[in-house]
Amino acid sequence: MVSTVQNSDVRQKDVDHAVVVAVTSRALFESDTEEDGDGAYAAGVAFPLLQALQRVNEQLLQRNPAESLLFDVVLMTTDSQQQQSSRFMSSTRHHGLEVTRFCFSSEEDFIESLLKNNIQLFLTTDENEVLQATQKGVPSVLLDEHSAVCSSEQLRVLFCENAIIRPSSDPTPASRQAAQSFSSQLGKMRQKFGMFDSPLCFTLVTLRGGKDSCCGALKALRSIGVSVDEAYCLAGAPRSPILSLLRPHFLLSDGFSNLDD
Amino acid sequence: MSLSSSQTLTISGQDLVKNGSRAPREDARAGLKPSTPTKKPQPPKPENAITIAVSSRVLFNMEKEQQIFEQQGMEEYIKYQVAHEAEPFRPGPAFSFVKALEAVNTQLRELYPESEELFDVVLITNNHAYVGLRLINTINHHQLFIERFCMTGGNSPIGYLKAYHTNLYLSADPVKVHEALGEGIAAATMFTPEKMTEVSETQLRVAFDGDAVLFSDESEQIFKAHGLDNVFLELTCFLHEHKGDCMASFSVFVPQGPLKGFLEVLGKLQKKFYAKGQRMDCPIRTYLVTARSAASSGARALKTLRSWGLEIDEALFLAGAPKGPMLEKIRPHIFFDDQMFHVEGAAEMGTVACHVPYGIAQRIPRKGVKDKETSQTVK
Repeated sequence: MVSTVQNSDVRQKDVDHAVVVAVTSRALFESDTEEDGDGAYAAGVAFPLLQALQRVNEQLLQRNPAESLLFDVVLMTTDSQQQQSSRFMSSTRHHGLEVTRFCFSSEEDFIESLLKNNIQLFLTTDENEVLQATQKGVPSVLLDEHSAVCSSEQLRVLFCENAIIRPSSDPTPASRQAAQSFSSQLGKMRQKFGMFDSPLCFTLVTLRGGKDSCCGALKALRSIGVSVDEAYCLAGAPRSPILSLLRPHFLLSDGFSNLDD
Repeated sequence: MSLSSSQTLTISGQDLVKNGSRAPREDARAGLKPSTPTKKPQPPKPENAITIAVSSRVLFNMEKEQQIFEQQGMEEYIKYQVAHEAEPFRPGPAFSFVKALEAVNTQLRELYPESEELFDVVLITNNHAYVGLRLINTINHHQLFIERFCMTGGNSPIGYLKAYHTNLYLSADPVKVHEALGEGIAAATMFTPEKMTEVSETQLRVAFDGDAVLFSDESEQIFKAHGLDNVFLELTCFLHEHKGDCMASFSVFVPQGPLKGFLEVLGKLQKKFYAKGQRMDCPIRTYLVTARSAASSGARALKTLRSWGLEIDEALFLAGAPKGPMLEKIRPHIFFDDQMFHVEGAAEMGTVACHVPYGIAQRIPRKGVKDKETSQTVK
């Protein structure tokens, strides 16, 4: 069973134009611990990412109060936590999070909930949920303890070549399409900011190929409306020293690269 | 769709289930189908290679674009770069140096085909990736073998220099050079001569000043007062006096200058050529060009080098005479000096000269030489 409750504290977004991002309650809150006194949950690993999304919204609205291309963040929670649903809602309010809706479903139905709510990006700490959502063509990110130390001031998105993260089967046309359109939306958002002080930052990393594969990736991204701010071509150099400096919130890899080295 | 959170590069659901572990596979090449047969060799691993990091403004001539940036701002600069994307830049002061490094690599590969002890030139620039295509087009146009780059979009290059185990960093921006030196990375500010004398395409020639480049100048000051034997003792006292000074702490335990390590790696490569019988026509040649005189301080310089296990091919003691004419005869691809006076003198006579802002008395070089200093220098 799938149901949705609106958060009356937060202005609802124009769902036709917004970029809808779903985050699970387990990713957003530490449900094992409590903040003192209040009964509200403590911040989970998704916090900095959410704060970064909020900052993008703030800055977009500053430039244009009537802006409709915003991030629309919804909280998703499944059956086993139903009793805690009101705790999630009150914790959201307690932390002043810009969550527009709460989507409740059973574990079996959560994919239905994702599709019904037109989720364009799904954030979770559960590997199985990523697997299932990905198979249905919903772009999904697996968050972990690294996410907790990312910036809350600037949303950093890493575009990385497809070849390294090759699945055993090729991505479905649906998931490729979804990835592309999500990237294009982000690209449009980025265009609303200048070169300096943008709350949104795109980075391209090519891991294995040389400058020509990086060149191809830059052009491919440009063709879907994404201009990256930073670019790193590693040509086989070890990736972790560079990645640890970049600290992206998440990586996007399908949907823009058709180079196969 | 493949997405991932920050550090772990996994993703596609199926891979996660199969793999279990999320450790990134270092040798991703293994399982993938090979790319079109490359005529170019693969770049060496950074820990094996001698990494030379260059900024875009020393590798290429970007004077016009720099002017646009300074006078009209970032947006206009980017617009101009993108509009001229297909137009390659002309070579900058580091260009012939990089070409000579490649020539040495070619010869090393012939003699030691399995070895990764090669020069690896990495472009590390503050430029935004918007300029990326123009830079890549230019690299291709000039047929440079540069496969690695970092376009940091305004962020500091220091972390990336370290990630690549950089042996030498060349930039037009003295602020970055200063920062790199402070982090223990050999670095120098490169200037563009009005005209560049022709240099060899087959033999790499590197010239060094002695003091504050190869040798720490504190040791020289202390020697003058107390004699060589007391150098180490005095350096410890020197550190206490200048507790807050990072330059002092850099030099206290060994009286060596910031470029000593670079001379060392050049010497290591030279030995590889000697081992194959190429001593007389070695593709690498090093020079010491110092204002010292041969008599006492000159001899001491050579003794110090020897005590470090280093050799230098030619030592020129000018006893105070200007360096320009001598360098014009030697024609090095690059010359390092800690005094702007000598750097300018060399540049005037067509030598590509670099300033090593090392030593307590160093200040950021003044304008007037071909160096564009701005607080938002685009590089």
